[in-house]
Amino acid sequence: MSDLELSMTTEPTNREKSFPTDWLWRAVLPIALVALLLGFAAVDRSVLSPANLLNIAQQTSYLALFAMAQTVVILTRGFDLALGPAVSMVSVGTALAMAGATAAGHDQTTVLLAGLGAGFGLGIACGLFNGMVIALLGVNPFVATLGSYNIAIGVATTLSAGRPVQGVPKLFSQLFYGGSIFGFPATISITLAIGIVLHLTLGRTVFGRSLYIIGTNPRAAAVAGLPVKRILIATYVLCSTLAALGAIMMTARTGSGEPNLGGSLSLQAIAGAVVGGTSLAGGRGGVGTAVLGALFITILSNGMNLTRIDGYIQMVVLGAIVIIGVLLDRLRQERRQ
Amino acid sequence: MSTVAAAGVPRQPIGLGRLIVGRIGFLPALLVALVVGMSAVDPQFYGLINILNILRNASLLAIVACGQALVIVAGGFDLSVGAVVALASVVTAKTMAATAAAFPGNTALIVASGVTAGLGCGLVVGLINGFCVAKLKVSGFVVTLGTMSATAGAGLMITSGIPVYGMPDAFVKGFGRAQLLGLPTAIYAALAVIAVMMFVQRRTLFGRYVYAIGGNVDAAVVSGVSIQRHVVGTYVVSSVLAALTGILLTAQVGSGQASFGGDRMMLQSIAAAVIGGVSLRGGVGRVEIVAVSALFLTILGNALNLLHVDSRLQPVFLGIIMVAAVALDELSRRSKARV
Repeated sequence: MSDLELSMTTEPTNREKSFPTDWLWRAVLPIALVALLLGFAAVDRSVLSPANLLNIAQQTSYLALFAMAQTVVILTRGFDLALGPAVSMVSVGTALAMAGATAAGHDQTTVLLAGLGAGFGLGIACGLFNGMVIALLGVNPFVATLGSYNIAIGVATTLSAGRPVQGVPKLFSQLFYGGSIFGFPATISITLAIGIVLHLTLGRTVFGRSLYIIGTNPRAAAVAGLPVKRILIATYVLCSTLAALGAIMMTARTGSGEPNLGGSLSLQAIAGAVVGGTSLAGGRGGVGTAVLGALFITILSNGMNLTRIDGYIQMVVLGAIVIIGVLLDRLRQERRQ
Repeated sequence: MSTVAAAGVPRQPIGLGRLIVGRIGFLPALLVALVVGMSAVDPQFYGLINILNILRNASLLAIVACGQALVIVAGGFDLSVGAVVALASVVTAKTMAATAAAFPGNTALIVASGVTAGLGCGLVVGLINGFCVAKLKVSGFVVTLGTMSATAGAGLMITSGIPVYGMPDAFVKGFGRAQLLGLPTAIYAALAVIAVMMFVQRRTLFGRYVYAIGGNVDAAVVSGVSIQRHVVGTYVVSSVLAALTGILLTAQVGSGQASFGGDRMMLQSIAAAVIGGVSLRGGVGRVEIVAVSALFLTILGNALNLLHVDSRLQPVFLGIIMVAAVALDELSRRSKARV
């Protein structure tokens, strides 16, 4: 507790002292974002077209959701390497459940509920496994989630026999992809809503604040009487549930359950969180950093696609950006101290 | 720190069973059980072809895992090894093809240039990793995540994803697919690497300092160990060994491919290290046990194949065994701490 109070009381004074430069350091990423957009627009006008901006927003909403999921566990000094395979597993499970329910002649609502139940059920199961292995058995998060990474890949490919699962009803795709809520496309509104709720949860609830304390100083958290193990389990469940939601949204987009949907999402989500300024040392980051990081990576790859930069060079650029992003963040931290 | 104590202080005489469990771990026992069980179930398992196949694959994994283990002992991570295997493979093949075009017939020069270029790739990636981690103080996970993407991209860019041919016969048939005393050359390479790494870990200052850094960085700094140089060293060793694996794989297959190694090799090398008792907290771990664990993982995959377990289901076993191995290790540590 004292750690937290200390940082809370010192931060404002620091900010007052060096307001302009500190503000500038804080704004590095947003400035870089705008510069990136303008730079790409100079090469190709269509980058700034309304259609492409909407496209960027939609692409970002998936990655932002996964980066938020990853951020929640990174706050507690964890990782979730299993996020990508979990996405594949949820996608396959959701599609299979809906196809099965449709074949059994149930009505649309039941089919939808069956799909969501299966998807979130698999996601929660994955989170429970991760959380319990990490919190109760004391296994390092890297190993624990590397284990569930393999398990989830196995389950996803076995369930689907390695092929896309057809039979996703139109209503499902309409609801989570094609439709619009309050005039926004469904994907963007869902991610926005989740982002707001998660932001409030992290900032305003005991559970949310506990994550920061555990990440900043796990021993102090335990001494202060926080039920660290239970919170950790809940954290991994929350992460996997968010991933499951993202998987359901992506399944609605592709219109089929894909055993390879997750692919390299685990690492992309970590990269998104980290580029945005989430600290792998725990205790620092939030919804804002996740969204910023996801936006940055999406704009970068969208711009490189539109300016026809070779896909393989894009991998090199992305790798360099991840390192530079974290390096900048570290420099920013040092300035503050 | 605990390793230093465990290695230095002679222990009281204890029973063989406890010796195996305490010093070497349950891994060799598990390995023997697996081999005996499989031999009983399927005679194909102990056929010469299958054994050579297992040993060849285990050798490649063991070389990568030894480097990975060294990095983890120092408290880091190397996610880039799989990508380095791929890059070294295509660079070696490309260089050999180019040299062969420029100096036809000069086999020694062709092979030497290819191998040098391949190992050079490893050296460069290792130096970048080490520099970013040690000097710029970026977390090893993030740095190697970045170089993994960049290295894999470079490998694909060079080849556009197409296999590279044009290596001399002396390299492919005379080395990669050759057998010495009935065993594939990769096995000798792996044994040499393991022997050298054992020597490095036990007898050299570098090896001891790596334990010290992983065990307690602050204590190492106070003791006057130059952290940066040794951390860079671990990443360089890891990348160069990964490059060596890439070259061996290229010689064996006869073409340079950007699809070699990859995420799978990287994850398996970490799994081998962790199951082999290397602690992710740093400071603990021996390469010879990591090599045994690489052999175990390879045999496990082979056994699942022979038992006709659906290949799609196989990762599930790998995942469960990995988590179980580390959980057991953690629980035994806790019970020891209580005593």
